[in-house]
Amino acid sequence: MKLNSKLTLFITLSKLAIVLLFVLTLPYLTGRIARTYTDYYLQQQKEKVLEVVARNGVESYLQGEASYGSYTMLKEEYISLEPVEEGFTLDTIYTDERIIEQDTLNYRVLTHVFAAGKGSYLMEVGKTVETIDQYNRPLQRIATYVLLGLILITLMIDLFYTRFLLKPLGEIIRTKISNRKFPFNDNSEPVNTSTSDFRFLDQSLISLMNQINDAFEKEREFTANASHELMTPIGILQNKIENLMGEPEVSELVQDRLIGMQRTLNRLKRIVHSLLLISRIDNDQFSKKDMVSVTELFGDVIEEISHRLSEKQISLNVNLSEDIELQNVNRDLLFQMVYNLLNNAIRYNKPEGKIHISDRIPENGTYEIDIEDTGVGIPQEEIATIFNRFKKANNSEEEAGYGLGLSIVKSISDYHQITIRVESELSKGTRFTLIFPSVILKSH
Amino acid sequence: MKVLLIEDEKTLAYEVEAFLKKAFYICDLAHTAAKGLEMLGVNPYDFILLDLGLPDKDGLKVLQEAKKLNPDAAYIILTARGNIEDRILGLDLGADDYLPKPFSLLELQSRMQAISRRKFNVSTQEIPLGEFMIDLQKRIVSHQGTEIELTRKEYDLLSYLLLHKNRVLTRMQLSEHIWGTFADDDYDSNYIDVHIKNIRKKLSVYGPVEWLETVRGVGYKIRKQ
Repeated sequence: MKLNSKLTLFITLSKLAIVLLFVLTLPYLTGRIARTYTDYYLQQQKEKVLEVVARNGVESYLQGEASYGSYTMLKEEYISLEPVEEGFTLDTIYTDERIIEQDTLNYRVLTHVFAAGKGSYLMEVGKTVETIDQYNRPLQRIATYVLLGLILITLMIDLFYTRFLLKPLGEIIRTKISNRKFPFNDNSEPVNTSTSDFRFLDQSLISLMNQINDAFEKEREFTANASHELMTPIGILQNKIENLMGEPEVSELVQDRLIGMQRTLNRLKRIVHSLLLISRIDNDQFSKKDMVSVTELFGDVIEEISHRLSEKQISLNVNLSEDIELQNVNRDLLFQMVYNLLNNAIRYNKPEGKIHISDRIPENGTYEIDIEDTGVGIPQEEIATIFNRFKKANNSEEEAGYGLGLSIVKSISDYHQITIRVESELSKGTRFTLIFPSVILKSH
Repeated sequence: MKVLLIEDEKTLAYEVEAFLKKAFYICDLAHTAAKGLEMLGVNPYDFILLDLGLPDKDGLKVLQEAKKLNPDAAYIILTARGNIEDRILGLDLGADDYLPKPFSLLELQSRMQAISRRKFNVSTQEIPLGEFMIDLQKRIVSHQGTEIELTRKEYDLLSYLLLHKNRVLTRMQLSEHIWGTFADDDYDSNYIDVHIKNIRKKLSVYGPVEWLETVRGVGYKIRKQ
């Protein structure tokens, strides 16, 4: 989930939770507020009564009777005065039931004992709780509406603001991370933002990319230098041997030894050559601008390698679609890749064996080529490592190469985003499947 | 033929010089770009073999300047840098050929011969070989006017052996000439044998081919006076 969506979701949910909590606790809150207010109101009523008693005497209420009682029309409030024994004191507020004219009602009741005239009187001032509670529901409803409305408004503001806030991050991701292609040598501009975290992230990314770029450049330089430093002495040795072999007085024995040296030197040359090739491919030192017809490519490789086929009397069956073209590839590299695969299919094949090349276009827009042989096969546990450098496939009696052919294949396929699938059965044969991504397929 | 070799690696330069002198070329050496350009200014050369990795100047710049001083010469670039771009740039700048190091001296001579034929029209067009005639220009082998059909690789093998006549060429040297970097000794050498057998078979229909000798354990050579 994207950060923006996550933030929005979190903000919405947390706001909703808070509102829910508030609405749920609202009755309790309003109850408390109302009670406090009622208590305050009852206190005031009490003060008023006491004031009247102090001014006009308690008789102004009793009017000659022993006690006094009065309530409002809807029995929301009442007051009563009755005499109590001397020395009895009570001064409290509580909630209790009172029966007034057969109606049992819940009242908040203030009781107070005071002395007036000849005796002590107990005063009760009451106010119904129902009048307090009846406000709760509408209050809750209104609060819910208002708050939901407020949430909607703040949510919109939040959304707008987080989007604005996270915009530089999106830009960093878009320009610095996705769609970037190794070796990151396209200089990218710093993203304009006032958020220090983003600026830090952006700068870190830029310096990281620059470091990678530097390392890449160094590697490229190293390959060129290593190539020069390694190839020059090999060249000197090769030429010295050649000159020696051309000398007429060189005996047959020495000649024989020279050939041995030449062969070893040639092997060294090929290893260095292969390592440098892998290194150059991995370093992105080849252009990918060629357009290649698959049938032509395979045709050229087969022509180049046909003598090895006929020597081992291997029958080759090619069944490729006519008009498949690859674009944005390096022809020489693809040639080398197919060459190495076919060469292996011959090398590890049985005499008079078969090689079958076929292709198919699966639904998902890719393109697949199978190269099947009837050779010695690869043990299951070794399939994972056959592409490793200097890893020789199986212990075949055939002179196994130098263990770099498939590494080169892997480097080239990775370079072109071609996936390779290997299936093999011992002493039955091996099938290499090349899966070309749709991006390098030229659409017709 | 006069050759100027501009190469800073002295040991290598001496080997190339020794080889070319044996092949009857006159060879001068320069170990720096400055010296090379100086010599170019004074003497006319037919061939300039130029190492791209010179210490005092970028090889491609040297090539440009040298071409101004001596536009008629044939230029062969030698380099161990192995950059593909170098090759393209070098050929774009007017080099006639490009040899990546390490190269075989035999291959170098073969390339020089090819350039001579193309550029200077010097070498005899038709070379007699026993009862046969080899036309290097048209790449044809004939016997008393009858053209003999050879495959491209068979012809390449024959002409390579002919160029280095009286010299034993190993199977490896032959396969490297034919398959280049794809050559695989132990593996392709058998096929060289097959090729030679085919050449003998095709030619012996018309006349004796005893000039094409097998040197046991080594390779093949064309013996010719």
